[in-house]
Parts: sequence; C-alpha cells; structure tokens
Amino acid sequence: MSTAKFKGKWIPWLFLLPTLVILLVFLYYPVIQTFRLSFYRVAFLGLRTKFAGLDNYINLAQDSGYHHTVWVTIVIAAAVVVVGLAASLAIAMLANQKIRGASVYRILLIWPFALSPPVAGIVFLFMFSPGFGVVNYLTELVIGTELNWLGNPRLAITLIIMASVWKNLGYNIVFYLAALQNVNTEVLEAASIDGANNWQRFRKVTFALLSPMTFFLLITNITYSFFDIFGMVDILTKGGPLDATNVMIYNLYRDAFEYYKTGLASAQSVILFLLVVILTMIQFRTSGRQVHYGG
Amino acid sequence: MNATRKYLFVVLLIALFALVVAACAQPAAAPAGGEKVVEVTKVVEVTKIVEVKKEVEASSEEVIPEGSVVIDFWHAFGGGRKLLIERMVADYNYTHPGTYVRVENKGSYRDTLNAAILAAQQGNPPHIVQIFEIGSQLALDSGIFAPFEDSAGDFQPDDLIEGVANYYKFDGKFYSMPWNSSNPILYYNKDIFKAAGLDPEKPPETFEEMLDVCETITSSGAAKNCISWPLHGWFFEQWMANMGAELANNENGRAARATEVYLTGDAAKEIVTWWKEMYDKGYYAYSGKLEDWDGADAIFVSGQAAMEITSTSDVVNRQNDAAANGFELGTGYLPYPASSERMGVIVGGASMWLADGNPPEEMQAAADFITWFTNTENAIRWHKATGYFPIRKSSVAVLEGENWFEQNPAYRAAFDQLLNTKPVRATQGAVIGAFPEVRTIIEQAVEKVLAGQASVDDALAEAKAQADKAIEEYNKSVE
Repeated sequence: MSTAKFKGKWIPWLFLLPTLVILLVFLYYPVIQTFRLSFYRVAFLGLRTKFAGLDNYINLAQDSGYHHTVWVTIVIAAAVVVVGLAASLAIAMLANQKIRGASVYRILLIWPFALSPPVAGIVFLFMFSPGFGVVNYLTELVIGTELNWLGNPRLAITLIIMASVWKNLGYNIVFYLAALQNVNTEVLEAASIDGANNWQRFRKVTFALLSPMTFFLLITNITYSFFDIFGMVDILTKGGPLDATNVMIYNLYRDAFEYYKTGLASAQSVILFLLVVILTMIQFRTSGRQVHYGG
Repeated sequence: MNATRKYLFVVLLIALFALVVAACAQPAAAPAGGEKVVEVTKVVEVTKIVEVKKEVEASSEEVIPEGSVVIDFWHAFGGGRKLLIERMVADYNYTHPGTYVRVENKGSYRDTLNAAILAAQQGNPPHIVQIFEIGSQLALDSGIFAPFEDSAGDFQPDDLIEGVANYYKFDGKFYSMPWNSSNPILYYNKDIFKAAGLDPEKPPETFEEMLDVCETITSSGAAKNCISWPLHGWFFEQWMANMGAELANNENGRAARATEVYLTGDAAKEIVTWWKEMYDKGYYAYSGKLEDWDGADAIFVSGQAAMEITSTSDVVNRQNDAAANGFELGTGYLPYPASSERMGVIVGGASMWLADGNPPEEMQAAADFITWFTNTENAIRWHKATGYFPIRKSSVAVLEGENWFEQNPAYRAAFDQLLNTKPVRATQGAVIGAFPEVRTIIEQAVEKVLAGQASVDDALAEAKAQADKAIEEYNKSVE
C-alpha cells in the first residue's frame, strides 16, 4: 500500500493553518480567558479587573440559589435525554417499517431539527400562552380548565422539557434511522430461528446493535440539554417562574450580560464545562464499555 | 476499537469547548428597562426590517461624502422607530455638509451598552450611544463617556421638561442628553366599562377604587379578568415614587452612591400586599413570565382584561390595537394608594451618551448632532410618531398651539401625569449601579408572594438582603 507524502515538512502545517487559526482565536483563546477571568472580580465586561482568588467559586458554593440552578439543570437534562432518546427510538422504529410513503413520513419527522431553539421556543410560546394560546383553548374545551403553563413551576419545567425533546427529535431520529437501516437482518432472522420473540429480538439484537449510536446520541443530547436549551428557556420562561427553569447556562448568561458579573459568570462557565466533561468521562468508563461496535 | 473511542472523545471534547463559547456568545434577546420590548413580534419586525434594508441597499449604497467627519450613532430601536431615526439622520446629513452621521441598531438596550463597552475596550468607541435610564450609573462608572454638557454648545437645558431634566441630571450636571422618555399610564377598554355598568369616562384612580371597579367588572362577567400589567420591577419602582418613597438610601443614590434599598418599608409592603389581593381575587392577570410586555398586551387587547398599565410610549400601538379590535380606548393616571398623596411618576426611557476618546472635532460634531436631534422640532416629530414625550417646553407650546392634545386625547393623560409630578428625590428616580439585578430581585419577590410561597414581609426581607448584597458586590467592583 502506498501513501502519498508531502514534499516539505511545512506544507501540511500550511494546510492546517486556517483551521488552527480559527480554533486559536475563537476557541482556545476565549476558553483560556474564561478560566483566567473566573479568578477575578470583573467590572464592565473586562474594562476593569481585580484579582479575587477563589472568591467567585466560594460565592457560588455558598449560594443556595446556585445549588438550585445546578439541580434544575440536572433534572431537565436527565428528562430531556431519557424521554428524547426513548421517543425518537420508538418513532424511528415505526418510520423504519417498509410501508407506502415511508420517505414522506421520514422527511416530516426530521422537520423539527431544521428549526433553531429560539424559533421552536416561539412556536411553543404561541401554543401555550395563557392569553391566546391554542393549547389552553383546547384544555378549556375538553377538561374545562385552563392551565398556567408559564406561571406554574411544574408545568413550566414540563413545557421546557417537552419543547426541548420535540426540537431534538428530528436529529435523533435521523441518526437512529440510519443505524436501524444498517442492522443486519440476518442476525435478526437467526434470532427468530432460535425462538426469540419480538421483544427479545428488539432488546437483545436491535438495541444491542444500536448501542454505538445510542452512546453517541447520549453524549450529543447531554450537551444539547446543557447548552442549546438556552434559546428555549430565554424565549419561553426566562428562567422562571420562581427560578424553576433557571438552568446553569441561562443563569450564567444573565450574570454575564445582564448583571455584568463577568468574573462570577466565568466561574459558572468553568463549572458547567467541568460538569459536562466529568459526565462524558463517566459515560466512556461505564456505558462506553458496553457499546458493541459490531463487525 | 480503542482508537475509535479516543477519537470520538477528542471530537466531543472540542465540540464541548465550542458549545461553551457559542452559548456564552448568544445575543441578548431580553432587555429590560422601563421600555417596551416586543419579543414575539420581533421576528416579524426583523424580517420586515431586513426587507426594507435590502430595498434601501439596492436603491442607494451608503455614500459618505469625501472629507466629512463621520459620526457613529448606536441605538436600540427596531421597527418603525428605527426607520424614523434613519429618516431623521438622513435629513441631518443632507442639511449639514461636512458631517456624516452613520446610524446603527445594536439590538436591545443591553446589547447596545455591551457593544459600546466592548468597542471602547478595543479603543474604537462609537461617538453616540443610546443608554437606558437604569444603565446611567453603569455608564458613569464605566468611564468611557465624556460629560455631554462639557462638549455641547447651547442645548438649552432650561427648556427641558422638569421631570425629564431631573432624572438625567447627576450632581447638577447633564452627563447625557435625555431622549426617549415615557412613564406608565392606565389604558382601559370603554366598551367593557359600559357593559359592566360603569362610567366609561371615570377610570379608577386609587388602589381602593381599583378593587371596587374590578369587583364590578368581574362579577358582572363583562371580562374574565380586570387588569393586566407585566410583572416588571418598573411598576413597583413607579408606585414607590408615586407614594413619595425613595427606593435606595443616600437620597435615592443621588447624594452619594447607594448602598441599600428600602424594600422592607411600609410603602413597599403596601404595594405588594395590594398586588397580591388583586391577584388572589382574580382581578390581576399576567402571562406567568417576568417582564413579559407582550403577554400583558395580549391579555388586554384580546378583551380578557378591561384595563392595562403600561408605557406611554405605547399610545400609538394601543390606539391601533383598539381600532383593529373594535373597542374604544381610554387612558388614565397610574393608580395610587389613597393613604398617600399622589407624588407622580419617574421618567423611564433612555438618553444619548457621548463617548470619550474620539478626536475633539468628532466629539464636537457628535455633540452638535445630539443637540439638533433633540431640538424643538425634532422632539415634536419624535413625540407624534411614537407617543414618547415631547421633552422640551417649547415643543409642548407648539403642540398646544396646534390643539394636538385636544385632537389626540389619549396623549393627554400621559402628558399631564408627568407635568403634575412633584420634583422630589423619590420621583427623580433611584440611581443604583446594580439596578438591572436589583430589578430582577424585586420581580422574583413579587412572584413568590403571588404564588403564595412566601408572605409579603418574608419575601421583601429576603429580596432586600439579596439586593443589598448585589449592590455591595457592584460597589466593590468599581471602587
């Protein structure tokens, strides 16, 4: 086997340069700055800085409001990931059946993915608004009462979870569909011959063969529910009511750009980052082991 | 397999970094201020603006005459107000050769202030920046602005309406030029008043009358709820002022830097107690979300509530809504508790700040433009097109001369309320560095009380502790 080689040593670097520059300027530099600023008291978005040691972290550790924020984030993320993956796998299984017009269904199912979270948020806001939302109109008709979707903490969390799950359905379905179509039918047939019923065939064969995809989606969905959920929260609830949906990413945004507490927000950013890295590492250690890459 | 996993891990790690950065760079979609910010309709407006902009760009590329002094002017208005500003600026450019004003919308109030601070940090500040009223202390502390009064020629400060001048004068000096100014008034649906058997020319004036009127309206079934206003700290601040109570110590932060807020005083308790009673009896309705102006508008315009309290800068919008939905609109004063004298309201809105660090001739040209932009004629033009106050006495004289207020009675209440305001520290408005955060803390306290999660006393005591801490943190960061 022959491999092509560059003549000079610097030519590959030259080709890499644009990417490296972009990474450096837009990724590594801001990240390093964020780490640095988390140890400072910062006024006016960095116009003035004063070294504060671990003050920002200590403040956060003692702030019961921040503990609540972390808790809310974990609850919402867990719900979004579990419900989202289960729902999209179920739908993908249905969409994978060989029926007439299957491709039309598939395209329709992928639709929500084309929307950005804020747009999806506005769609849900129109539907669930207390004053003019169609959902309350329907609940009034059917069960004779209106629900305060944005004003009741539990309903607001439910709404955020529903909207976030719906928004990411398309993305998950695309990946699951692709994976399902790669599942070797011979293995399934073999299982049938061995006397496996439908549930066993799904659980022991299909689901096992889907595990690399589930693992991949698990991680992308966690990052989605930690970070991309911002747009949804900002449009739908603004972190309310009573901070019920004040997730970490929203809280840090507010501290940084509305209250000008850049140092404190940087510390939150670092915590959020570490939290997701740790979660991801745990997954690689645990569920990652069970992933079956086939072949 | 191990290699694949490692590779996947690295990719994900990089994606994480990207997400953290990208998420933090999300533009603000939610500015607060005493101002109306249209969120849901924003999308529609943005598309409209994009279309208009495309047309403008297609027809005439921006050509800056050679040798002109170029002035950058950043503001936070969208929609019709943005187009009006652009038209006014174009007029200036035509009639003032040698100066070219380049106008740009920078998003919300907060976005605009953030953008100005960042630009100044990079040594390239714009010349003129619109900053919302509660950002005034921040702007002062940031040190990136020059006192307007020092660069301005004759901007006739004595001609400014007292209420407006009082808010923007710090230590007797105009650090910025007042521009769009408004305050809250009561809007009501005369048809619902008639249906409930009430006098459609007599809106309730006091907290107590409000309770009576609401009882009549809801029990008659003329409307499901009685009144709506956004759950926004601005209204709480206005009621405090209306009762003559200062919000912060050191004379509302105007004699010296404020260090604490008076959230546990009788005035604060009376306001929140009334608010709670209105809510518990089903009179007051809001969307369930903080600072949701659109939600309150929708409740009133759809006829679900008979009244709404919102900004005077919405006069034009509400008149259009009333016409579109076929009801007759009335306006009245912001209600107050009968136990206290009506002191009046605080001016909300924004002012124009002159950035420091540009060459003297550019700063001079910028100051000249600001003076022109807020002169008698332009103040009239701005008022008629938006509903914001005509900020000059000379403008009011002209408007009265042409019987403007008689022909447009809805503007009347808005205007009289401001003129009748007594100039004391309370109505001058508080100056607090951490005001944006303090405002949210107050809103959350009210939210807690309405939801029945805390008593009025407990919620306000907790809010005071939080607000005082926020103020302390802010003061530490600027010392």
